[in-house]
Amino acid sequence: MAIITISRQNGSLGDEIAQYLSDKLGCDIIDREYALSNFFGEQSSGSIERLNESAKFFLSSSSGSDITYKDILIKHITELAQDATPGHDIILVGLGGCVICANCPYAVNIRVCASEDTRTNRIARRFNLDYESARTSVETADRKHKRFVSVLFEKDLSNPELFDITLNTDNSSVEEASAAALALIEAKNRRAKIAIETKEVGAIDHQAEAIVFKNDTEAEFAHILDMYEIEWLYEPKTFPIEYDAEGNIKMAFSPDFYLPKFDIYLELTTMEQKYVTIKNKKVRKVREMYPGTNVRIVYKKDFLSLVERLKRFC
Amino acid sequence: MSHILGNSIEISRIVFDEETIRKRVIELGQMITKDFYGQEVVLIGVLKGSLYFFSDLSRSIDLPLKLDTIGFGSIPDTTSRTGVVRITKDIDVDITGKSVIIVEDVIRTGLTTAYLISNIESKKPASISLCSMLLNPDRLLMTIPVKYYGFEITDQWLIGYGMDLDEVGRNLPYIAETSRKQ
Repeated sequence: MAIITISRQNGSLGDEIAQYLSDKLGCDIIDREYALSNFFGEQSSGSIERLNESAKFFLSSSSGSDITYKDILIKHITELAQDATPGHDIILVGLGGCVICANCPYAVNIRVCASEDTRTNRIARRFNLDYESARTSVETADRKHKRFVSVLFEKDLSNPELFDITLNTDNSSVEEASAAALALIEAKNRRAKIAIETKEVGAIDHQAEAIVFKNDTEAEFAHILDMYEIEWLYEPKTFPIEYDAEGNIKMAFSPDFYLPKFDIYLELTTMEQKYVTIKNKKVRKVREMYPGTNVRIVYKKDFLSLVERLKRFC
Repeated sequence: MSHILGNSIEISRIVFDEETIRKRVIELGQMITKDFYGQEVVLIGVLKGSLYFFSDLSRSIDLPLKLDTIGFGSIPDTTSRTGVVRITKDIDVDITGKSVIIVEDVIRTGLTTAYLISNIESKKPASISLCSMLLNPDRLLMTIPVKYYGFEITDQWLIGYGMDLDEVGRNLPYIAETSRKQ
């Protein structure tokens, strides 16, 4: 994952969550203010003011060209998304980022919301307003947000499909809601890193598939890793290791487990010796064809002695 | 022959005798003394296997050390053959910002060590180093940097110098291979 988009309702603590995530991840926040100062820098101050006020104005052409302000916005955000890499994140607040980055595989699109009553109370307290004035402010902001996305992208901001995760802050603190977002960001970052490596070396990425263990041993081994709080991914990658003359894959190897923290693949073998020999051959080929890839075989006796020792305890 | 093992366990051979162990422990102590000079060091022994090694090693390190121990156990779990790992004795010394050296008797798969590292990492030490009396590099499932170790071993079943077979044999002064499988 490289770009985190945050769409937030007024008074939902979305900005606070963006700041919290920025501090935790050590990354920059791109918001409306930044965009208006940096994306449209050569426009007159009058145009910038209108961009700040009117969603429709984004559809008009910038002075002296056929390019609309919307095009400029999309271009800049797309470039930001492309430049960012896993571990070097960027937080994009508002600006329809969830729509622009919808097809970016390494984006995490977050929606932050809360009930109107909660948000009204927060706005009233923050700006020292009476309840009714605060409610009017919240309703106006909601309409504006909705209109911006609707006018520019013909999308409905209330559609949950635009987001990977929705955080309701009615009963969650900034820290609690951010913890959920961080967990997703971290998991997606890990997946993105593997996907990028996979793409670079020509292996096949199938991390998104559901986990179906092939046998009880694999399930037990996963349990052992869980016991030790060692993070694992099940068969996240397939390494093609033999091709025919036409370039079709003749033989491939999908190690059973990947341990991200230790950057190591583990293949369990609890079967007959002849299969162990084949697996050893496959592991050798992976090491030759994909230098820097750590693969280890967990032999039957290793597994059984591990289970035995754990029963008595280590 | 010693009476320590009773009649249930037979020793097939002594793998590392007292003198060999003593010399190697002194060497490890000297290496650690040199590498950690000027740092605040906390030595954490993993119970119970590292008891004797921990004791000898700490006395071979010429630094102002703080000592602590950590212990593990497993809770039986009906849903699996192996149960659930838990810490039975946590460390008491504050290790925040300090150089931690984890002392183990033997590292085989590295699973326990990986668990230890992630547990100790959460307490924010300045660094974590590993020192094991024995290491089986062929069986390591984790990419764990074991900076200090006494001896490399293979698939032997060993007892003595802290290591046991059903809690017997820890107090042997040498490390021996048993003829009965662990």
